[in-house]
Amino acid sequence: MKKLLTSAIALAAMTAGAQAADELTLQLKWVTQAQFGGYYVALEKGFYEAADLDVTIKPGGPDVAPVQVLLGGGADVMVDWMPSALAARENGAPVVNIAQPFKASGMMLTCLKESGITGPEDFAGKTLGVWFYGNEYPFLSWMSQLGLSTEGGDDGVEVLKQGFNVDPLLQKQAACISTMTYNEYWQVIDAGISADDLITFKYEDQGVATLEDGLYVLESTLEDDAMKDKLARFVAASMEGWKWAEQNPEEAAMIVLEYDETGAQTEGHQIRMMGEVAKLTAGSNGALDPVDYARTVASLMSGGSDPVITAEPTGAFTTEITDMAMK
Amino acid sequence: MRRADTQVERIAYPAGFGLLVLLLWEIAVRVFEISPALLPPPTAIGAAIMGSLPILWEDWVQTVVKGALNGLWMGSAAGIAVALVIDRYDFLKRGLLPVANFMAALPIVGLAPIMVMWFGFDWQSKAAVVAIMVFFPMLVNTLGGLASTDTMQRDLMRTYAAGHVATLVKLRIPAALPFVFNGLKIATTLALIGAIVAEYFGSPIRGMGFRITTEMGRLATDMVWAEITISALTGTALYGLVALIEKRVTFWHPSQRG
Repeated sequence: MKKLLTSAIALAAMTAGAQAADELTLQLKWVTQAQFGGYYVALEKGFYEAADLDVTIKPGGPDVAPVQVLLGGGADVMVDWMPSALAARENGAPVVNIAQPFKASGMMLTCLKESGITGPEDFAGKTLGVWFYGNEYPFLSWMSQLGLSTEGGDDGVEVLKQGFNVDPLLQKQAACISTMTYNEYWQVIDAGISADDLITFKYEDQGVATLEDGLYVLESTLEDDAMKDKLARFVAASMEGWKWAEQNPEEAAMIVLEYDETGAQTEGHQIRMMGEVAKLTAGSNGALDPVDYARTVASLMSGGSDPVITAEPTGAFTTEITDMAMK
Repeated sequence: MRRADTQVERIAYPAGFGLLVLLLWEIAVRVFEISPALLPPPTAIGAAIMGSLPILWEDWVQTVVKGALNGLWMGSAAGIAVALVIDRYDFLKRGLLPVANFMAALPIVGLAPIMVMWFGFDWQSKAAVVAIMVFFPMLVNTLGGLASTDTMQRDLMRTYAAGHVATLVKLRIPAALPFVFNGLKIATTLALIGAIVAEYFGSPIRGMGFRITTEMGRLATDMVWAEITISALTGTALYGLVALIEKRVTFWHPSQRG
């Protein structure tokens, strides 16, 4: 009898387990690192589970275009920067912003003081390193606002497509390189260059910041009410993860390290990164601020002869999901 | 007994098939409503080519003329020269050849960033990558060619009292030519791939490799395909040019009887 009872309980447990949580796949913009701490925290701490979600997090990398993964059906949601998302949208990929965990931009130019640069007015005639592959837009719109051509010469800047490392600055092949406050800047410091020898220009301070890590889905995903409910639960749980990471940056960094299958990340670097990222997520409850959106669009359309986007986007974001998530 | 194809038929068949493939591609994209971000139709690619000729030209000069061709002649010249030296001194064959073998095994993705560090971001670093890539096939093919004469021919030269140099110039280098051209055919293909891929690892803001990665980032796939089309045409033309020179230079060789 006892045996029968335990098997009955086991059977009941199994059927309960068969009521599987809703599956959802998130495609990151870059490799596993504290930049995505909130999502890993939500996964590790069971916030997703509590929202009845079975979330798979796919790391990105230098050869992964999140938009293409989304289009190809390899993920339901992606983390991307707004400039590349809007450029992709204009090229026929119907992506929509559903939430904006990053309030502030972490992008900056880091320059060697010895290059003689003291302010943006000194850029002319210098060589600057820039990331491409969709990350060049904030830089290009900033240069066009400064009235500097990117074709080189004395009254323009010479642009280098820098790889995803800080070598051009260390080798003095460029006067300035693109860095994130939470990542490459520290790689320069770790390479033995003192902070006193560097001068940095944050895009936020220059008034040319564009929105970074946001959550995007395809338009077709938003046509289904059940899917919308799932996304709202995902956004709410993710933001819970982000707020936890802001409060506990060290623990969050350790969680990220656990999920880093490449083993490439180091503890010190990740803890530092988490601390810097926390500053960028602090101002956001997940909802996209229309003012930030308008500023980003204006910045992208002011690209002079070669603007990033040529027309004001329509339907590129929705507040519906975050409204549902906040209820 | 099949009759041989005429000149016109030889061109018409592949051209016809090519057009058919393009037509099916266009129809498939339209019928299945494939997103242009995944696969643009041939008409869009054609429009991208016609609409951005100045950009494509600038990229082509940067990548093909400056990067690939410079690297190709440097790497080929070095490969042939080293082959001649190795062929003369046996101890070098034992010492240098393994080193050359090792160079052939260097992966381009590891090499390219280092070359950028050494030679800067512009075409010089791309030419260096290409030179290293083509060096080995040129060396091996030339060595093989130099060894391709048989004992009877070399004995005949000795009966003429010909020294090493005379034997080289009059017998062994001409005999090696078909092999050298074979190496060149491989090298042209490698040079183009090398020059494009090397640009992925840091470049100025022009060049085919730069454009492909950048346009991919903004999902402008029509432009990516435009660059791919240009590089395919360039590769075919370079190969054809080498084959043509080979025909002129080694007309006496049995492989050229057709």
